[in-house]
Amino acid sequence: MNHSSLLIWIFLLFPAAAAVGCLILRKASWIFRFIMVGAAVDAGLGFILIQSLFQKGALRAAGSWLRVDTLSAYYILIMILVFLMASIYAARYFNEEIQKGSLSDKTAARFGSLWFGTLSVMTLVLLSNNLGLMWVGIEATTLATTFLISLHPSPLSLEAAWKYVLICSVGIALAFLGTLFVGAADSSSLIWTKLASHASILNPQLMKMAFIFLLIGYGTKVGLAPLHTWLPDAHSQAPAPVSAVFSGFMVNEAMYCIMRYLPIVNGAVGNSHFSRDLLLFFGIFSMAVAAVFILFQHDIKRLLAYSTVEHLGITAIGLGLGGLGVFAALFHTLNHSICKTTGFLSAGKLGQKYGTHDLRKMPGTLQKEQVWGLGLFLSLIILVGSAPFAVFMSELLIIKAAVDHHHFLLLTFFLTALGIVFIGVLSHAVSAVWGEPPGDHVLPEPNHLGDMLLVGAPLLLLLILGIWMPHPLRELLEKSTFILTGKQ
Amino acid sequence: MLVLDIFIHLILLILFPPFLIGFINKVKAWTAGKQGPSLFQVYYDIEKLLKKGAVYSSTATWIFKAGPILTSASLVCAGLILPMMRNHSTFGFTGDLIFFVYLFALGHFFLLISALDVGSSFEGMGASRGAAFGTFAELALFSALAIFCIPAGSPTFKSVFTALPWKTWGFAHPAYLAGALVLLAVLLTENSRLPIDDPNTHLELTMIHEVMVLDHGGPDFAFILYSSSLKLLLQADLLIHFLLPFPSHLTEEGVLLLLSGILGIGILIGILESVTARLRLQRIPQFLIGAFILTVLGLMISFYRGAP
Amino acid sequence: MIPYVNFILTAAIALNLYIVSSSRLRSCVQAAALQGSVLAFLPILLWGTQASKLEIINLLLIGIGTLGVKALLIPFLMFRSIQEANVRREVEPFISLHLSLSAAAVLVIISFWISKVTGLPHPPSAYLVPAAFSGILIGFLIMVSRQKAITQVIGYLIFENGIFIFGQILFQKIPLAVELGVLLDLLVGILVMGIAIYHISREFDHIDVSRLDGLKG
Repeated sequence: MNHSSLLIWIFLLFPAAAAVGCLILRKASWIFRFIMVGAAVDAGLGFILIQSLFQKGALRAAGSWLRVDTLSAYYILIMILVFLMASIYAARYFNEEIQKGSLSDKTAARFGSLWFGTLSVMTLVLLSNNLGLMWVGIEATTLATTFLISLHPSPLSLEAAWKYVLICSVGIALAFLGTLFVGAADSSSLIWTKLASHASILNPQLMKMAFIFLLIGYGTKVGLAPLHTWLPDAHSQAPAPVSAVFSGFMVNEAMYCIMRYLPIVNGAVGNSHFSRDLLLFFGIFSMAVAAVFILFQHDIKRLLAYSTVEHLGITAIGLGLGGLGVFAALFHTLNHSICKTTGFLSAGKLGQKYGTHDLRKMPGTLQKEQVWGLGLFLSLIILVGSAPFAVFMSELLIIKAAVDHHHFLLLTFFLTALGIVFIGVLSHAVSAVWGEPPGDHVLPEPNHLGDMLLVGAPLLLLLILGIWMPHPLRELLEKSTFILTGKQ
Repeated sequence: MLVLDIFIHLILLILFPPFLIGFINKVKAWTAGKQGPSLFQVYYDIEKLLKKGAVYSSTATWIFKAGPILTSASLVCAGLILPMMRNHSTFGFTGDLIFFVYLFALGHFFLLISALDVGSSFEGMGASRGAAFGTFAELALFSALAIFCIPAGSPTFKSVFTALPWKTWGFAHPAYLAGALVLLAVLLTENSRLPIDDPNTHLELTMIHEVMVLDHGGPDFAFILYSSSLKLLLQADLLIHFLLPFPSHLTEEGVLLLLSGILGIGILIGILESVTARLRLQRIPQFLIGAFILTVLGLMISFYRGAP
Repeated sequence: MIPYVNFILTAAIALNLYIVSSSRLRSCVQAAALQGSVLAFLPILLWGTQASKLEIINLLLIGIGTLGVKALLIPFLMFRSIQEANVRREVEPFISLHLSLSAAAVLVIISFWISKVTGLPHPPSAYLVPAAFSGILIGFLIMVSRQKAITQVIGYLIFENGIFIFGQILFQKIPLAVELGVLLDLLVGILVMGIAIYHISREFDHIDVSRLDGLKG
């Protein structure tokens, strides 16, 4: 076993070992410390993996079953960032519950093991070069996260968990059917590299059917409208760190699975119109649905969830535009993940303080909770696409790609939806931020340095990315775009 | 040879049916650990009834009197074209399968209108039930027969029975299995056996067959009794022709197959009646629709097999 | 061996129809278990004659795994959650059983039609694709037309069985590890659903999905 395959194995198995570790630790406070340390170690391993990818090119392990190329490395980057933020935050968030006594040691152990279990199967999805194994990973992700939603079993959280597990299981089973169709179209096994290398000789009719099933199947997990119905429920009922991981990474990972099939389908069909048109349709439909629901949404976590539907729609549109659009979509994924994670983390903390997620009942957030209030407000501002943050830049790139391809009708819908979302989000946010805080003599909570870092660092990162893109990131993005389109 | 064949055919057709009912009753008695009535009890019953006189309601017309006789007559006609010891009947012709089913329906029709004619609301209810379930059963019967007719290419007994692939009948041809199951279900329905109707009960609001014939007495009821036993014989005969390979000429083997097949069906019904309970009246349409949908499945398979 | 395969597939379709028409929860689970155990023989019957020694071991493993999971473990789990959720009333469909049975018949016809249209290259048995699609479609029908959470799980199971049948077309292409992974996922999925049903019944005192309507908008 050489160095790089050892690294892959360690990166895959470390979270699984950590999941077992959480079961051994019996004290809640210890478990959350362990989660923090574990996420940091995992992030370190991830960076080493990406580093060695830059040095040696694609890494392999277990025959050709596990493989890291630029696209998976890029998603590994997003994954470790989101998990690191959410894990550090989890300690702060649940600390309050431990003090109130509403979180038992047993529940904490369950959370910890499911948390790392989720991380481990998500890693499996990104590392697997076998499309069947990738499917197993995604389905396992669904199952592992179900009880994270209903960590505190209440009627509403159980309803959300039930909808989530049933809808997503059915969706993912359809994705399996799509995977089987890919298998039927091909004479070899389900190895992605082999399929991608001889995509042009695959049966185009079967590949078309396969792609439809895959798009609907994985699209359910992505939350593309009209398959998004589980998404707002699950996000609103899950604890904040879990919602952050859902929006920040899990849905993007399902999108990653769809992306993996793009070069194969395009190669088999002979042109990319088929897959692109489908993606554009689902993308614009998701944006439209999300825009309408955001306009009348007062629950902050549901609002953020619908914003996720919108942004995944934007990503789908970027992929559907091809070329520069793909580049923009990948860049947008990173920006959205970081920003949405910050948004959910802030919203969760505010929800804990106010005891509600209804924006009408939490006025004056900036005065009462300076750090988290500002974090929520800024992340909402960034999410609606304000300059000069990175989300604005990636959306601008998508608009440029649409103009280049003369998709003016699409552009009209795109901009209209963005406009509606802009109005909807700001009208809710402004009233919450600048309203009068309840009670006359509320002292602002003392600001915690860790909190400031947790909110400030991602937002600063988004500002920097909006102005200047570091060279390694550009290289990652360009190479990933090349993998997906075959063009630089 | 031909004369002998017709002679045996007629003897079996006319004289054998009451024995089958007696046999089933005997099987049921044995299963229950009882001695039971004689195997020939139904013959005695018919003889006794024929000797009696009849009482007619003042509202009944000649239709009421003609009903039982016409029912028996149409069933005897149906029995003539149904093959018995051989894989075809001497009186068979192209399309005789359809004609057979319609003669059957005709018999049922005369029974229904004679029940309606008497003007009793109770019998009217029975007739309405008989008509409703008869309709469902007819649908299932026709589509079940279609499963067998499609591969043969003709609705004729001879071609259907010669086209059946006897060597690989069971597993290789699930469609035929479905068809045979549905034929059994139709047999149970049309002859008012369990689990559709209980032949042992009398004067119950859930009955179907018994309700229709309550006002018939004496010789009329003898004909009703005879025609219902004939009906059972004919349907059992139809079913076993789909299950067993009958020779094309009159042989001892054919007679033996026929007798053992029909008695086998008798044992099956007897055991079935001993172990099952009657369905609730509301569930009977569901049972028959289920049977029909099973034939849809069979038909799909039959069609599919024909495709390249 | 193909005659036996055809027989198994027809039995699978007929069991689908039976589950749609049955009004008793327990007989639905029994029928689903029967379907699972019949389907467990499918891989070895389909491919056993032309497989090498190693492949035979694979086939046997898949067969045993399927039998264990679909015929024993999952029915056991479901019976337990029926007991724990204390389901007193039986199947309560949104649409009547007659109507859903007729709809199921139409779905069977559609699945035969689909198999003619898709034109998969050389399926080993002509009934594989119709049986697979009728499982998928009827599974969907049950999931959307029933009120009880547990009947939705039965629908999901039938749906999965349909996909399992479809997977048999590609035996040589799907590695053993993936097949077993799929089985494991299914098992854990049903387990998760079972636990969720248990929690739901404890919190709500019922498992009617139609009354899970707190989350809107």
